[in-house]
Amino acid sequence: MSNVLEVQSLHVDFHLHGGYVQAVQDVSFHIKEGETLGLVGESGCGKSVTSLALVRLLSKTARVTGKVLYKGRDLLQVSGPELRRVRGGEVSMIFQEPMTSLNPVYKIGAQISEALRLHDKVSPRAAFARSLEMLRKVGIARPEEIMHAYPHQLSGGMRQRVMIAIAMVCSPSLLIADEPTTALDVTIQAQILELMKMLSQDFGTSVLLITHDLGVVAETCDRVAVMYAGNIVEQGNVEDIFASPEHPYTQGLLKAIPKIDSVVKERLQPIEGTVPTPARMPAGCRFAPRCALVQPGCRLERPSLYTVGDEHVARCFLHDRKEVAQ
Amino acid sequence: MLKYTLRRIIEAIPTVLGVTLLSFVLIHIVPGSPVRILLGNHYTPYRAELLSRTLGLNKPLPVQYFTWLGNLLHGNFGYSYTYDKPVVSLMLQALPHTIIIVVVAVLAAHVFAVFLGSVQAYFENTKFDQIVTVINYFFYSMPTFWLAVLLIIFFSIDLNWFPSGGIVNTQLASPSFGDWAKHLVLPIAALFLVSVAGWARYMRSSMREALLQDYVRTARMKGAKEFRVIFVHALRNSILPLITLLGLSLPALLSGALFVEEVFNYPGMGLLYWDAVNSRDYPIIMGITVFVGLVTVIGNLIADLLYGLIDPRIQYT
Repeated sequence: MSNVLEVQSLHVDFHLHGGYVQAVQDVSFHIKEGETLGLVGESGCGKSVTSLALVRLLSKTARVTGKVLYKGRDLLQVSGPELRRVRGGEVSMIFQEPMTSLNPVYKIGAQISEALRLHDKVSPRAAFARSLEMLRKVGIARPEEIMHAYPHQLSGGMRQRVMIAIAMVCSPSLLIADEPTTALDVTIQAQILELMKMLSQDFGTSVLLITHDLGVVAETCDRVAVMYAGNIVEQGNVEDIFASPEHPYTQGLLKAIPKIDSVVKERLQPIEGTVPTPARMPAGCRFAPRCALVQPGCRLERPSLYTVGDEHVARCFLHDRKEVAQ
Repeated sequence: MLKYTLRRIIEAIPTVLGVTLLSFVLIHIVPGSPVRILLGNHYTPYRAELLSRTLGLNKPLPVQYFTWLGNLLHGNFGYSYTYDKPVVSLMLQALPHTIIIVVVAVLAAHVFAVFLGSVQAYFENTKFDQIVTVINYFFYSMPTFWLAVLLIIFFSIDLNWFPSGGIVNTQLASPSFGDWAKHLVLPIAALFLVSVAGWARYMRSSMREALLQDYVRTARMKGAKEFRVIFVHALRNSILPLITLLGLSLPALLSGALFVEEVFNYPGMGLLYWDAVNSRDYPIIMGITVFVGLVTVIGNLIADLLYGLIDPRIQYT
């Protein structure tokens, strides 16, 4: 299967107070056709910045380098008109905040058909019909009525459904979902995830799902990339990552999830310490200050990604030594 | 919405009445009497007494006020002391002149300020933004009358492009449309320049805020061009403060083209008001006060109704 998206050594720096602050460092991943990749990490680890950088939606203060190959074209290099053709038409995005992501002064119908009319030459009438159809597909009851409603008349869950309708109306090849369920309550979360899963299968859309919720990843993703402090620290198939996490950070994350079926009342094990700020990155491994298995060498040199299994890599010296020992 | 409009108009009646009472009291506090000014060199106590009686100025002030109010309710604004004509006909004569310069200047200034402010916000803190900001402050901090005088110096005296005042060239037998239009240019320019400067600042800050909103990112994500992002998505969200200013500026400009009309000797409402104040022509002063009160109410009402048209979250009950 060919790759829809291939990101090669993506760096993002922000111009701040006269200097540059690094937000994302050397991030590489790929997404195959029809696949869902989860990008997980704590707040501030650079996952949202990564997702916005892919379609050049970051502010002018950001400096983005590396390659973002969408079907072979580098989105960081393409011209403005070509980028706009890709945005919404071939690569779509939904955001974390459904409450503010819709324009408050335009009707829902107009906002969905706008996405359509920016890419396809369709009559207003046809655009309206297709938008209505799309609203029905995202599971909105009384879609005819909602077409004429304004965003403030809708609940958060409904607004996120509308956002999904906008993102999917042009049947994109890739959908980037930046924490699509974070702002919603739990029952709605499950419905929205189910809807995204169903639609992406229907349309054959690949998905990049950005989340901090490992439960969401387990349910919806094929592969997962774990980010920490602007780096990808581990990447692999969902089953492998959950069954045998190889990076101490991933191990820590999994231990910190409460289990409803545990017989023994065990305490959750939090990861000690806090995420380093971009301005004060540790010299060596970025996780070293919080790592239980830290070695003296970890503080001096930065580990690269070592292969630990089939399509499974981890950024930790522990695995480097294993290879040497074998 | 009709109910809302009606209620607003009814609510405005006490406001307008209050304004008339206040200005009636104020003009009588101001020293100087119309009788003395009207008689001038012909002043004798006997003639003054006679004229006071004729004009009804010898009665107690409350009686004068309620007589005036009673006449107003019958649609009678009274007679001007100095022109010896009905106030209504004087106002109707002056109003079209004011309306033409105010409407043209306000609309042009609004459209231009919205455009300029939006573009400034988009190119925030670039050289372009900084230069425009300096120019804006230059005009914003300049007194209207001084700007008007400068315009006359440059464009009438030095360059001789436009006449320095009036509405037509009195030496022409039949003044053409072009001649009339030429007389409008400088007064409109003066009003336009002082209005644009302030409004563009408001628009800039409002647009700046709108451009940071999530729905702007959504619009870009859909593949919209930057022009569309600014002028379709962000504009309608950021224009509300300008609508308020439009409503507030209407009465101020209809009466307060005063400085501009005075400098350009332009026979509109401002000049009529100015002359009336100087000659203590009470009926004209009171007539224009009522008019300005009404325009204030109407201006604010129009602004509020426009709000609802632009932002669907605003409901009228």
